[in-house]
Amino acid sequence: MDKVISTLITVVVAVGASAILWIGANLVFNQARNRYQRFTALIFGAVGFLVGVVLHGNHVTVGSGDGFLRWIWLPAAAAVVFAFVGIGLEQTSGATPRRVAGIVAGVVIGVGVGLLVRAERRPELDVVALAVWTLAVALVGAGISAILNARRRSADHDTPRRSDPANGALIGGAVGAVLGGWGSATIGTGSAAEAIVASALPAALVGLRLGMTRSPDLPARARLSGRARSWIFLLPAMLFIFASLVVPTIRTIYLSLLDKRSKEFVRLSNYADTFTDPNSWNMDDWTNMFTSRLFFIGIAALLIAIVTGIVAKKRTGRAVEIGNPTMAPLVIGVLLVLFAAFTSFRGTIVNNLWWVVTVVFASTAMGLAVAVLADNVKHEKLAKSLIFMPLAISLVGASIIWRFMYVTTDESKEQRGVINAIWVSLGKLSTGSGLPTLIGAVVLGVLIVGLGAVIVRALIRRDYAQAPLPAVAAVFLVWVFVRYLGSGIGGYETNNAGEIVARGIGFVQEPPWNNFWLMIILIWIQTGFAMVILSAAIKAVPGELIEAARVDGATPSQIFWRITLPQISTTIGVVVTTLIVLVMKVFDIVKVVTNGQFGTQVLANEMAQQAFTNNDTGRGAALAVILFLSVLPVMYFNIRRMQREA
Amino acid sequence: MSAQMTPVLTHPGPTALEGGHVKKQGVGGRIYGMLRAIPASFLWIIVAIWSLPTVGLLISSFRSSSAQRSTGWWKVFGDADELTLQNYRDVLSASSTAKLTDSLLNSAAIAIPATIIPIAIAAFAAYAFAWIDFKGRKWLFIFTVSLLAIPLQVALIPLLQLYGGGAHLTLPILHKTITLVPDLDLAGTTTAVWLTHIGFALPFAIFLLHNYIAGLPKDLFEAARIDGADHFTVFWRIVLPLSVPVLAAFGIFQFLWTWNDYLVANTMAGSNPDAIPTTIRIANLAGDFGQKINLLPAAAFVQAFIPLIVFFALQRYFVRGLLAGSVKG
Repeated sequence: MDKVISTLITVVVAVGASAILWIGANLVFNQARNRYQRFTALIFGAVGFLVGVVLHGNHVTVGSGDGFLRWIWLPAAAAVVFAFVGIGLEQTSGATPRRVAGIVAGVVIGVGVGLLVRAERRPELDVVALAVWTLAVALVGAGISAILNARRRSADHDTPRRSDPANGALIGGAVGAVLGGWGSATIGTGSAAEAIVASALPAALVGLRLGMTRSPDLPARARLSGRARSWIFLLPAMLFIFASLVVPTIRTIYLSLLDKRSKEFVRLSNYADTFTDPNSWNMDDWTNMFTSRLFFIGIAALLIAIVTGIVAKKRTGRAVEIGNPTMAPLVIGVLLVLFAAFTSFRGTIVNNLWWVVTVVFASTAMGLAVAVLADNVKHEKLAKSLIFMPLAISLVGASIIWRFMYVTTDESKEQRGVINAIWVSLGKLSTGSGLPTLIGAVVLGVLIVGLGAVIVRALIRRDYAQAPLPAVAAVFLVWVFVRYLGSGIGGYETNNAGEIVARGIGFVQEPPWNNFWLMIILIWIQTGFAMVILSAAIKAVPGELIEAARVDGATPSQIFWRITLPQISTTIGVVVTTLIVLVMKVFDIVKVVTNGQFGTQVLANEMAQQAFTNNDTGRGAALAVILFLSVLPVMYFNIRRMQREA
Repeated sequence: MSAQMTPVLTHPGPTALEGGHVKKQGVGGRIYGMLRAIPASFLWIIVAIWSLPTVGLLISSFRSSSAQRSTGWWKVFGDADELTLQNYRDVLSASSTAKLTDSLLNSAAIAIPATIIPIAIAAFAAYAFAWIDFKGRKWLFIFTVSLLAIPLQVALIPLLQLYGGGAHLTLPILHKTITLVPDLDLAGTTTAVWLTHIGFALPFAIFLLHNYIAGLPKDLFEAARIDGADHFTVFWRIVLPLSVPVLAAFGIFQFLWTWNDYLVANTMAGSNPDAIPTTIRIANLAGDFGQKINLLPAAAFVQAFIPLIVFFALQRYFVRGLLAGSVKG
């Protein structure tokens, strides 16, 4: 129950405080036009409060101990004092009285602060350093404001404010006085008088600067109100963006150049370590690629694609035809060869690339397939909802769901995971000799005969485009059939005693394919995403186009490849780029299922482990930057596109 | 006319077309027709495969501990007696070893502020970018949107340092350290988690809301201006009520994102068992994978319950937020 209450309080306080701050700021600036004095008092009060917070935050002044009341008194008092200063300044008219009032107010506040400085924080003043710093930074300030002034003058032909360099000099002088009085001095050895001087000098300079401005007239007040409004609306967002995005990003880049404790500058050695680490890039077994079965099948598929291309070239004059016959073997071939490479080269970076290739391709292809299949089917909504649902479940939840799918039990027990249960019973079926085995063989045989009939029919009708896909399926089924009748297929093995025993697949533990089984989880989730977006695009393809093609005698496959696909190519680009970025950063699945063990490490998990488990800040930061740089090009295109669309 | 045409245009169905051939083509044609019908059934096969993992876990969550340990969930169809609510009772009882109730509250304490605050802040900023004229507006907007390119990981280390020890700047020549942000001791609290989420939600939220708010009719604003309404009034009385659909879309997206988040929560609060949300709790439970494994399916469904409710109840908004939100870092 306490937990509920404290949770509620956190939420209410957080939301309430932000709302009050923001509405309060709006109300403050509502005063600017017509009640300028009240506005000045409020603004000065707010600044005073901030000054108090900064002083306390740096433990400069006495009484900044624990407890909210002991902490808040200085900011509160400063707010009141500053508010009165603001009213006083506003009441004073005439140039000289205002300046004097500004200086007096500055000195009073400075002395007050100086008296409150803790004994162990008093600076030992070095007059020369104080003077040099003050003058030097004042000069810089004058220069900056002169440049700004010149630019402003050239930008609009309004009356230039001639006092600008002096204003800049005063602000610069104040900053210089703080640096000289506090920054360059030895802290803790000074006297109370020195502390007073060190705080009164900058305060007086700021006071003089404030005294130099005239009280604005009504149009200027209205302008101020308008300009401030844009900043009130933007400030909360900009504050958060800078504090939690911009500054941390810059700091991460900086940290990546330091050693693991962020003590010494090590240049790029964190990056060099990452790229030379055998765990991130291991090519030792690259020759395995050329002996893997995948490689041979992939090359065979590519050969088929080439032959089809040559035939197509003779018939239609175009070697690469967008359509099933050429594209299917080409894509399959490229994928298989890549898989052969990814299973032979190992390491974190290789895994990341494998993830990107597999998940992006499979999710987009499956999403497209479902979107096309479900288009205008009965219960379309239901089908899409069910495919889409995994997206609502957390990645952690999805990983747990699939861990149960992937459960492996040893051979003596019954398999409890669905996939292994099917795999093992297939093994039992194909190595058995009873009636079920016979039925299985008959079913397989019928399927093969059916596919053969389709191929023969396509050849007889000279509808060659219909042949290759069934042919590929038929070849696969024949291979399964031969294995089924022969040595067997599925989860089984022959033990030392010569008996056939069940053996499940270690989906999680057996490298390198465990990577692939992890990818399935993300494909399961992201197919829904691809489907939703592609489905919207397919529905937007003009019906007349498709009807015209159909009247001209185009087959459904031709309509898909020649009309639908080109029409939705932009959307496919969106899905692919989005998925590339998302998959590049894959973390949760690997973290929850294997935590990077068994050769499944990926960049994001490696980064988290280095930074937060090994406390190697430099290496972690370098990995984060690598991740950032690797998604940057894709993100660049994404954002360009978004801005075009917006 | 066109309404009657549409079914013809878009609903020819390959099976319907081929059906005409079947009778003339004999056995080969009939087999061909059957195979041509595969795509339609293929869809439902895919749907079944896609639902299978979730359904399986759902059934498992209702099975007794010993049943889960001995057989696969599909065996439940032979013996329905073993179904029990005990797992859910165990998971949801306050004293349970799963400690899920505590983490549910933490998830709420993270997801609610991390949804409401960015909506408000981003709506202000989006309004300013769309309807307030100020210098550098275009460039500031482009800058904000390009921050979408930054992956979460890049900011995690400095943010954790900030929450765990404040921000301190060491002046280069003077070798003095000044405190910019005091050590608020936020590491290991839910506050640190939702603060991080706010920062990361903003570029996307501003982009999404800006597109919508900038598209509101200009006449509205001019009329309000003539009536003497200031920006605050315009925003409060006109923009907010009109933007409800996009606010809902973003809100749902952001709520699911934060409720389901693991990385930020694990980095910022993972060290404190009293502050961790449900995602970390069930991940830890999965890590044990020993004694309490029978509770895991139930725990996973309790965690997913709210997202699934949101998903099925507000799917329209969810899809809209997703379509636009696909770029979030």
